[in-house]
Amino acid sequence: MPTSATSNHPSRPEDLIGRLNSAHTPYEAKLKALRDLKNQIIGNRTKKLAFLKLGAVPSVVSILSSAAAAQGGGGDNREFYESVLIQSAAVIGSFACGLDAGVKAVLDAGAFPLLLSLISHLNEKVADAGARSLKLIYQSKRAPKYEFLQEKNMEFLLSLLNSKNENVTGLGANIITHSCQTTAEQQALSEAGVIKRLVGLLGGSINQKDASLESLAAMVKENPEVSAKFMGPENGRALNVVIELMKDKHPRTRLLACMCLISIRNTSTSYLQDSGIKNSLVSVLLELLDDPGPVGDEAPFVLSSLITEKEDMQKIAFNANLIEKLCEHLNAGSYQAKRLQGIFLLLGDLCSKLECCRDRVLDLQVLNFVTEALAHDSAEVRTAACNFLKNVSRSVKNLSAGQFMNEAVAVPLVRLLCDSSSSVQIAALGAISNIVVDFMAHKSVLVQCGGVKQLVQLSKSMESAIRVNAVWALRNLTFLVSYRCKEEILLELTSATLISLINDPEPSVQGQALALVRNLVDGTLNSINYVFGEDGAVLHAIARQLRSTSKVEVQIQGMYTLSNVASGNELHKEAVMNQLLPQAGNDAEKTLVKFLQSTDSRLCTATLWALINLTFPGSPGTCRRVTELRNAGIITQLKNMINDHCLDVKLRARMALGQLMIFGDSSS
Amino acid sequence: MNKLVMNFLVTEGYVEAAEKFRLESGTEPDIDLATITDRMAVKKAVQSGNVEDAIEKVNDLNPEILDTNPQLFFHLQQQRLIELIRNGKVEEALEFAQEELAPRGEENQGFLEELERTVALLAFEDVTNCPVGDLLDISQRLKTASEVNAAILTSQSHEKDPKLPSLLKMLIWAQNQLDEKATYPRINDLSTAALEDPAV
Repeated sequence: MPTSATSNHPSRPEDLIGRLNSAHTPYEAKLKALRDLKNQIIGNRTKKLAFLKLGAVPSVVSILSSAAAAQGGGGDNREFYESVLIQSAAVIGSFACGLDAGVKAVLDAGAFPLLLSLISHLNEKVADAGARSLKLIYQSKRAPKYEFLQEKNMEFLLSLLNSKNENVTGLGANIITHSCQTTAEQQALSEAGVIKRLVGLLGGSINQKDASLESLAAMVKENPEVSAKFMGPENGRALNVVIELMKDKHPRTRLLACMCLISIRNTSTSYLQDSGIKNSLVSVLLELLDDPGPVGDEAPFVLSSLITEKEDMQKIAFNANLIEKLCEHLNAGSYQAKRLQGIFLLLGDLCSKLECCRDRVLDLQVLNFVTEALAHDSAEVRTAACNFLKNVSRSVKNLSAGQFMNEAVAVPLVRLLCDSSSSVQIAALGAISNIVVDFMAHKSVLVQCGGVKQLVQLSKSMESAIRVNAVWALRNLTFLVSYRCKEEILLELTSATLISLINDPEPSVQGQALALVRNLVDGTLNSINYVFGEDGAVLHAIARQLRSTSKVEVQIQGMYTLSNVASGNELHKEAVMNQLLPQAGNDAEKTLVKFLQSTDSRLCTATLWALINLTFPGSPGTCRRVTELRNAGIITQLKNMINDHCLDVKLRARMALGQLMIFGDSSS
Repeated sequence: MNKLVMNFLVTEGYVEAAEKFRLESGTEPDIDLATITDRMAVKKAVQSGNVEDAIEKVNDLNPEILDTNPQLFFHLQQQRLIELIRNGKVEEALEFAQEELAPRGEENQGFLEELERTVALLAFEDVTNCPVGDLLDISQRLKTASEVNAAILTSQSHEKDPKLPSLLKMLIWAQNQLDEKATYPRINDLSTAALEDPAV
């Protein structure tokens, strides 16, 4: 390896690039320039970016290309050309190391096939250089997708995995980790005997263990068959080896071992379910949370994959004092966005189902950190904080105590409704939806900070996910709310918007819109009058939707809305009656009959309530309505329902029948 | 026992001793002795204050090491600055601090505190007696050298600490534990490892 004279002043970037590009520069000088460049950029992200802008990568790739072509000629210069290959490969690898822009530049310049050709070079150092650089490329999402399903590619991959060279096997493993995505690919790799080879690597060096663990996790993910094969007899005690690696000296190995086990656990519910392994996983990951480096950044996400949606795991984590640990980290002031996102992600997971977790979190004053997190630069942190709020506010006890309806929480949340990222908006809507279910009806805070305006604005969004969540929030907001508040909401919303929401192309939005109306008309006569205004357009819209929709959720909300309206005065009852049981038209149009015959008990119940309200004694038109209903054959229908297995249906049917029978003597 | 000794010699980098030991005892070292020479050259360069040379050598050995060890890279750059200051090259030191060290602080906020300490050296006339004067100690060079040594060993998938000291610590611990429970022949002098019968 040629030694270089130590210089105190690094060359100016432009000069360096100039020397690399110039045809006049002698080859020895180019080699020196390459080494110089390499030593300037390794470890130095700022310099890498600067050199990228100057077009360093295409220059270096072209030198690599000509050296690769030239050294085929052999002769005395072989050693020299090999040095050029090594240095240029190292430069390219460094540009690709942990820098997406670098990877892109390297791939765009056509380095990939050149590096590939180096792997099989006789000179081990050249092979190393090529393998290393490719490995670094494959650690980035931008690496080209490797097509495992092509036979030649599979053979090549196997040759990589079977190599004696650690960098080459590492490359093979990285390719799998990066590109193995579909079930078919996992299957193909498994059938080619890759698992056995990866299991072999588990007994190798630190780097081989780590690379292998990652690849195994990618292969077994969501694939019960490959999972079972991994744990099968032909792979020996592979599972036990991985379990042992949870106690390895190196934090990264411990983390990856946990990740691999969690992957298996989440795929096949028959494995790794005993309490011993559950507790081990939690305690190992808990300890890794304290790691100051990248391992500590990744650990929360791995832990989340273990506990998310799993109440038993959340309980174990709670008992292991995970919440206290997360609070310690928050108190220590983590600036790194990734770590903060991880902490809130975990807090969200913990609070998703367990009341004890929500209590503990609130006791430890975590809400003090939420305000800042909601205004963080990183969209991921903002989203995680919103999701955490959504979950912790599921605590009815604390919700009623008014823990969340305060300025520190509500104001930043409302601000997020016009966030530039739609995922943040949706997450904020989710949190607001829960928070506004305030049984004390102290909703003025939200109204005051312009929350209603924002929600109405979002209900007109082009994205259906945003629309549905905005309407949901409005629906929750109008739950048991004061008449004055309803006025304000409807003023902002307008009947026209309401009708268009009822007629929205998405059934989920229709359902929420109808539920919103249901809440609006719940309560006094004034509420009903206010919603229907002069022309009853909203009522028409509801009835029309009821006739055309096939989604039962929409039908249920619609029926309850009409039922609420039917609890009003004579005019209201007549209006509903006309919609449900029109004079003209055939039986198919008689919504009332159709719904009573539904197999869904919830829909039957809702319809029965409407019926009960329509025939409630004491109203002048009741008698007439009862006759109409009898003529439509409702009595027979009801008699079929009085012994229904669903208690709600049974009791309401009897009540309705009773009311119809009161007026029943004349006709039968 | 021989393996333990070889492991110690290899990890600490005593190449000639390891070679001799291999010939005399027939114990095979667990890594290639040639790589030890490279590693020792790096360590020596840092210990002599030739940091730039050390960086070049590390990059020749394995270009990934400094690319994946931001803390180590920062400490090496820090040492470069210290050496420039030690040699009285104030202008160069200022330029270096601005061009090479400041970006490290931008890239990683965790380095800011140490960065400030190091740059503070430039503020003092009498560097050896200032609050951050300890940075000029030889011990700082040794610390950095040790860090590089460990990183190289790890990259070669070798344990960065020799097993012998840990084993001795465990021996002492085990004896302390046993002391509470029984009397037994004890090793009191580690250099002779003689078993001494318990006092009657």
